[in-house]
Amino acid sequence: MAYVAIADRDHHLHDPQTFIEKYIWSQDHKVIAIQYGSVAIGVGLVALVLSLLMRLQIGFPDTFSFITPYNYYQFVTMHGMIMVIYLLTALFLGGFGNYLIPLMCGARDMVFPYMNMLSFWVYLVSVIVLLASFFVPGGPTGAGWTLYPPQTVLEGTPGSDWGIVLMLASLAIFIVAFTMGGLNYVTTVLQARCRGMTLMRMPLSVWGIFVATILGLLAFPALLVAAIMMLLDRLIGTSFFMPALMSLGDINGTEGGSPILFQHLFWFFGHPEVYIVALPAFGIVSDLLSTHARKNIFGYRMMVWAIVAIGALSFVVWAHHMYVSGMNPYFGFFFATTTLIIAIPTAIKVYNWVLTLWRGDIQINIPNLFAIGFIFTFVHGGLTGLFLGNVTVDLPLSDTYFVIGHFHMVMGVSPVMVLFGAIYHWFPKLTGKMPNELLGRIHFWMTFLGTYAIYLPMHYIGILGMPRRYYAYGTTDFIPESAHAVNEAITIAAIVVATAQVIFLINVFYSLRKGKTAPDNPWGATTLEWQTPQTPPVHGNWGPKLPVVYRWAYDYSVPGEAKDFIPQNEPPKGHSSLA
Amino acid sequence: MMTAMVIAMLTAITVWWLLIQRLKDKPWMTQGVVPTSQEGLTSSAPKVALWAFLIVVASLFGIFASAYTLRMQGHGGLATWQPLQEPSVLWINTLVLVFASGAMQIARNRIDQDNIAGGRGYFFGAGLLTLVFLAGQVLAWQQAQANGNLGPSNPAFAFFVLLTAVHGLHMLGGLLVLGRTTVRLWRNAGTTNVVSRSKLRLSVELCTTYWHWLLLVWLGLFALLLST
Repeated sequence: MAYVAIADRDHHLHDPQTFIEKYIWSQDHKVIAIQYGSVAIGVGLVALVLSLLMRLQIGFPDTFSFITPYNYYQFVTMHGMIMVIYLLTALFLGGFGNYLIPLMCGARDMVFPYMNMLSFWVYLVSVIVLLASFFVPGGPTGAGWTLYPPQTVLEGTPGSDWGIVLMLASLAIFIVAFTMGGLNYVTTVLQARCRGMTLMRMPLSVWGIFVATILGLLAFPALLVAAIMMLLDRLIGTSFFMPALMSLGDINGTEGGSPILFQHLFWFFGHPEVYIVALPAFGIVSDLLSTHARKNIFGYRMMVWAIVAIGALSFVVWAHHMYVSGMNPYFGFFFATTTLIIAIPTAIKVYNWVLTLWRGDIQINIPNLFAIGFIFTFVHGGLTGLFLGNVTVDLPLSDTYFVIGHFHMVMGVSPVMVLFGAIYHWFPKLTGKMPNELLGRIHFWMTFLGTYAIYLPMHYIGILGMPRRYYAYGTTDFIPESAHAVNEAITIAAIVVATAQVIFLINVFYSLRKGKTAPDNPWGATTLEWQTPQTPPVHGNWGPKLPVVYRWAYDYSVPGEAKDFIPQNEPPKGHSSLA
Repeated sequence: MMTAMVIAMLTAITVWWLLIQRLKDKPWMTQGVVPTSQEGLTSSAPKVALWAFLIVVASLFGIFASAYTLRMQGHGGLATWQPLQEPSVLWINTLVLVFASGAMQIARNRIDQDNIAGGRGYFFGAGLLTLVFLAGQVLAWQQAQANGNLGPSNPAFAFFVLLTAVHGLHMLGGLLVLGRTTVRLWRNAGTTNVVSRSKLRLSVELCTTYWHWLLLVWLGLFALLLST
């Protein structure tokens, strides 16, 4: 009897009929991915504007009267929170996770399409609640993105009346949305792979997204616990985190709460969060480099193991964010050691990316430019992490611009480079159109050089001792005039980089309308999403039969083969196709 | 704290080692279809998803428990912890929840043997017992408050209400699913459609797993409350 996959036998996929079912209340993972991506990029643009306002103030103090200290802290807080949670997490997992997992695993959709749809709409609610805080009395919270108590809920902190309540509520709603999506991603990877797609044949993009999702499912509860407890401290006067203190001349009535407890909870989520963003980037960039260097990924097994190892280690390093909060020296030693151990699997990955490029047939196209750019920015951000992982080095540097430079390089610029590379790489599959090459190159060079112009100097002014989180520096002896000049230059670079993102948006809309029609597999890639019968893939992805996988995802430039790539669903010579 | 960290590290290393055993394939060496590989969507997907969710639930309550312990020790601040006098009704509530779980298990066993009519009464009964449990928890809040004239500023009381409320919310979510399944058990009991019957069995099985898990969580929480 001919082989029929279970998914082909008696499976009714939700069939959208009306416009609303197809594009609004859609249960199709590809539409949900685009919805997630669009909202994430939209809210990310808000955060980008906020960062420009901050830079205008730092670069040109006393110039913009509408930027008050009150607003400035609101901009800092909202910029950080939006970028980390509502842009990066949502775009990598909600956007790329949704698009790539079913396509790369050879599934027709996520296992639970309805829950997947709910996940997006609940995410949208969380974004609306967050943005609503701009319009309430007192405005959004200005407590810093880490929301440390007690100052977060005390009068005098911007947004301590309504802003903080909306922020915490929005985070809780986001976590619900993420959990619904995350359960779907994990179950789909484990249970809906097509025939022949063993775990060790999965592309590294899926591996990265899969392990990041597991991290998210285990780490977000810590943030939820912290958010609920702080909300109760703020609204009904519990003292989970609030110690006894005098505020504006009054005793505030709380007693015995532990602000350090909040920090532990926050960073028990916060550090895995770094890898929730980084692991999908690691996975995706591996696929971009391999495809565009026309070479198999170097050390596939080691890459998978490194992703798993980094994921596990990321749960035992959180307190390295708290060295300056004070802790038992043995704890500091423990956390410094685990932090430095993470450098081992991470370095393995970096070597493997470079060795993948080594003697490859490197295509200098837009996705590959961004992927190679990522290696540079990630190495720079990673190396400064080794400095900060050591307690004694961290103490003097922790509250300076060195830290701003470090974490923006490693978890801001680097994942964003991969995101852009990924958007350009999959744009033809998503839209059926090729992105404009010239605009893409301008976008890359302005972004790549521009971000270096922003963050490299920050390391120097940080070592000089320039404190972060300050609204204005005035005239102090230890900050020389040249440091102010550097700050002006950084601000100008920031404006250039922001302009580059406008070019990116122009490219997206221009290519959507006027771009060249994309062939099914423009990059000559091996993974399944490029082997769909239609481009863009239609509902159900694969036509009547699911694909069957015969090989791993990296058969590029195989000796003795006519083509320089062999798709995963191409049978070995002498075998007939089972699909 | 240090012991917990060492245990966590050892667990992580063990899990990692086990994973590595699964991940020893050399995919570049082999071509063709691997005979053991699955074939598209498997029928056990809902069970896998439920277990993934239960692990998330365990993580949530585990973190709550850590926060409780740290706060109790006055971590980083002055210790002002006054232990709560646990309301006696909690013992009854616990017993009710054990019965609910037991009824659920009987329902599952019978429905598994295709005896839907014989099992659905127990299933519905489990729902009712759970409602009794939730009402009992609300009573416990009142008792605890009356015992010591406590308000939100007492951390032991605040934690007690918070933990039981979050656990109760999870039970309420379960009750929604239980309600839907109960309706189907009555409406579709006579169906001869194999797929419908297997879906009913699956729903009951998932509910049972969820109830047992939340019973375990409650027993853990109760032990934590009693020991402090």
